[in-house]
Amino acid sequence: MAPAIDPAERLLNLVIALVNTSGRMTKQQVRSSVAGYQEAVSDEAFERMFERDKDTLRDLGVPVLTVTDSRHGDDVGYRIDLDAYALPAVDLTAAELGVLSLAVQVWQDATLRADTTRALTKLRAVGQGPSAGDLLAGLAPHVSAEAAFGPLVEAVQERRPVRFTYRAASTGEVRERTVEPWKLLARRGGWVLVGRDRDRGAARSFRLGRVQGGVRVQPGSFEPPTDDELAAATAAWSQGPKRLATLAVAPDRAAALRARAVPGGADERPAPAGRDLVHVPYRTTWELAEELVAYGPAVLVVGPGELRHAVLSLLRDAARLDGGEGA
Amino acid sequence: MAERASERLLRLLGMVAYLDRHEDVPIEALAAQFGVTPEQVWADIDTLWVTGTPGYLPYDLIDFDATAYEQGVVRLVEARGMTRPLRLGGREAVALVAALRAMEASLGGALDDERAAVLRSALAKVSAAAGDAATAVDVDLPPTLTPAVAHAVGDAVARRRRLRIRYVDARDVTSDREVDPIRLVSEDDRSYLLAWCRASQGERLFRVDRVVEAEVLDVPAEEHEAPQSAEVFVPGDGDLVTLHLASTGRWIAETAPVEAVRDLPDGTFEVDLRVVQPAWLRHLLLQAGHAVLAVRPPEVAADAAALARAALAAYGAGE
Repeated sequence: MAPAIDPAERLLNLVIALVNTSGRMTKQQVRSSVAGYQEAVSDEAFERMFERDKDTLRDLGVPVLTVTDSRHGDDVGYRIDLDAYALPAVDLTAAELGVLSLAVQVWQDATLRADTTRALTKLRAVGQGPSAGDLLAGLAPHVSAEAAFGPLVEAVQERRPVRFTYRAASTGEVRERTVEPWKLLARRGGWVLVGRDRDRGAARSFRLGRVQGGVRVQPGSFEPPTDDELAAATAAWSQGPKRLATLAVAPDRAAALRARAVPGGADERPAPAGRDLVHVPYRTTWELAEELVAYGPAVLVVGPGELRHAVLSLLRDAARLDGGEGA
Repeated sequence: MAERASERLLRLLGMVAYLDRHEDVPIEALAAQFGVTPEQVWADIDTLWVTGTPGYLPYDLIDFDATAYEQGVVRLVEARGMTRPLRLGGREAVALVAALRAMEASLGGALDDERAAVLRSALAKVSAAAGDAATAVDVDLPPTLTPAVAHAVGDAVARRRRLRIRYVDARDVTSDREVDPIRLVSEDDRSYLLAWCRASQGERLFRVDRVVEAEVLDVPAEEHEAPQSAEVFVPGDGDLVTLHLASTGRWIAETAPVEAVRDLPDGTFEVDLRVVQPAWLRHLLLQAGHAVLAVRPPEVAADAAALARAALAAYGAGE
């Protein structure tokens, strides 16, 4: 018996055959003529091998088209659409390729790392020279994504409605949702899906961390949102304008806040006794409030009022923590 | 682990497209270009050489110049129509674009002009190649590092220089130290500087986002004898703390490293946390007071409540 042909070699032979065929190739032509398929010991074994290979190629982005020909009845053939196959014209410098290698390390999840690695392998073909290493390698950010991310990305791109089980944060209620997925947002605290909730007939946001179990793609497709609809749906997830917090900080405390300090500009209030006045830029009130409570009495908010209220509200809740159950 | 067939296929296709654009590529250069060993490249070229269109007669096959090959140089002479680079798949494009945008958001300000320009141009080119896929995601993450610190730390590691750092620990205690950087380490969603701390005479891990100032000294970093630091990340045995939470505290189960989550019939739930740093738990309780129904052991809550009351008193005194 001849030595087994490596699966990668068989897949490559299939790609080359389907690219070069004059019209199309039927399964039988593949079985009899493409190197690697003669190893199938039975009709079933060949069917399984061919179907799996076809799925693998499509998964890799190779456009394997199904071609029916009226002259051949129901007989189905295949070919690869070379125009759809190709990457748009692009070339990358060695330094740019170096940045792309770093991007692989951003993802904490094996699946997304694998997806990024594939993209990188493809782009290496259009890179000039080997990629240069980068000094900032260890400083790349780290981003996690939940299992729902992959299927939702595909559904967004293919404009397919999805169904999933979702736990509402406000009520804890667990319910099935049918959603037209519009866009995925990466925010501090995790990924968010915005889309149209079909049951509510309105735009809604869903945290991927609250999706339970799998995402099921539904039949049919949907109309994409208008620019206005999308802007309205994502507005709540946009950071506010840049503002300046005025903080009264105890001596030698909160070096992390002091490191972010900027000049106070028009704010020339005197510092409270025994404290330094520190001005820190911020965008989202609740984010800064959650950071500031950690300092307890060492950092007090002088302004703006909204930030001061947010911190006081957190402190009042926390002050009741040892007051017994449910206090 | 053996390489998956699909990953190898992509590299084989990529190599043909690359070799069509570059004449006479030494094996070592091809290995560096695709991030594999020269042995793997030899194996890949041998595979490419026997693939082609059905019939598999000499003129059906992908072909290389045999004389050049014997001298360790790859020259493609027949590509069998496979010269076009393969497009990015939808998920691949999104994963790459999102990762680059995350880098730009959190590192953008910390990069020098040259690196920032490279990151921008890479992102622009990949977004163009990704087409519509690039619009499926939107990344807006806060910067994690101050430009000056990122610059100094990166520079000191690369040039093996001693660093003077101002460091804030989890208890908000600030210290100034001189350290000899060893390398940058990524773990647990964070970046750390592994360095020899001259004050404590030992290897220490510093969270880079807690370095508030850094200055590169004009002194080479010294090499120090130290046990291998591979076990730096042994998780501590921390105390087990259980929080009973209202449903509005669901984010805690989603973002904190919880050991177990128990959903209760009334819609509330309990989480078990393994707490190594009391300061971390206190911060969590101060943020989540409204959602916390009970804490076991109760002393832990008393600590956070006392700090909150002290802060409220300080506000009262200032009014």
